[in-house]
Amino acid sequence: MKVKLSELFFVCLKIGTLLLGGGYVIVPLLISEFTQKRNWLTREEVIDFYAMGQCVPGIIAPNTIMFAGYKLRGTIGAFCALIGLTLAPFVTILLVASFIGIIAKSVIMNDIFWGVNVAIIILIFLTVKEVWGVSIVDKITFLIFIAAFLMCVFGISPALIILLAALFGVLRAKLKQQRSEHR
Amino acid sequence: MIFFLLCFEFAKIGFFSLGGGYATLPFLYHMSEVYNWFSPQELSQMLAISSITPGPVGLNVATFAGFKTAGILGSIIATMSIMLPSLFMILIISKVLKKVKDSPVLNSIMYALRPATAAMLACVAFRLFCDSIILKNDFSGFSFLDTKGFLLLIILFIVSLKIKKDPLIYLAFGAIAGILLHFNHILAL
Repeated sequence: MKVKLSELFFVCLKIGTLLLGGGYVIVPLLISEFTQKRNWLTREEVIDFYAMGQCVPGIIAPNTIMFAGYKLRGTIGAFCALIGLTLAPFVTILLVASFIGIIAKSVIMNDIFWGVNVAIIILIFLTVKEVWGVSIVDKITFLIFIAAFLMCVFGISPALIILLAALFGVLRAKLKQQRSEHR
Repeated sequence: MIFFLLCFEFAKIGFFSLGGGYATLPFLYHMSEVYNWFSPQELSQMLAISSITPGPVGLNVATFAGFKTAGILGSIIATMSIMLPSLFMILIISKVLKKVKDSPVLNSIMYALRPATAAMLACVAFRLFCDSIILKNDFSGFSFLDTKGFLLLIILFIVSLKIKKDPLIYLAFGAIAGILLHFNHILAL
């Protein structure tokens, strides 16, 4: 079944509107909208696109949703998802640009931001819990998780961590291939 | 002419920044020094605002800078330019991936990438927890717990165990709780 472009656009518009506090919020939003509500993508695919979105230069959230859009409707889908995601932030900034001085000083705005920040912690925690089942499948993947977590805490660039993990994946595939040839 | 310059500068950022919204920051600060499009102070304000408005920081700052420089047309050009390099790259990568689907090497790469990605997400949650719940006292060097924040976190956690809801619910709940828990700010107005 083909996903309707208009539906894809409006879902991405909704995601763009809710994309508060940083690009990684795209993962819970994608899982909620694309996986749980619509069955467009599996959880694995969302995580894969997020991982790939970090490897491509540019901004992670749009990158991730472009991969998702391409998967659903090809080139036009990627473009549609990008425009949908960008529209709400774009309009908001145009409005904000005129009142920047007032908003930056507003105490209430800071309070809202404070509360949203706490909610985001829970949101990301839930996401990790959600993707745990599909990504940590054995001892090796658990070790990768621990290693990557420690590297990340100590400030190693995400691009490097992803590169190392990909390299490990390639080596593992080559080793397996050799072993099966020996038999 | 300004439009070509905007397009070129932001496409450059889109092409060279790797690793998320904050990776664009060094480029943007450099830009504020080289051109008179926006001041470093304006950029810092913009960052603070980007964190409460929807959308990734890099994209928001591009819109803002474009608007400051050349109005609405400028903001459209800046926003599109920062995204175009990745759009093309993603189209190419997706086409290639379609052909090599189900190759053992690709599957093995994804097998290793998934836990690494989950770990990086966990790390983001950990960092945010340290930044917004455990506050550092600059004078004594002691860290202390933000009781209100911790309370809200516990409540949200319990809610999340009981019901599975839209991310929107959590965000809205957080925003309202943010205002209510600091009601003295409203009284002071």
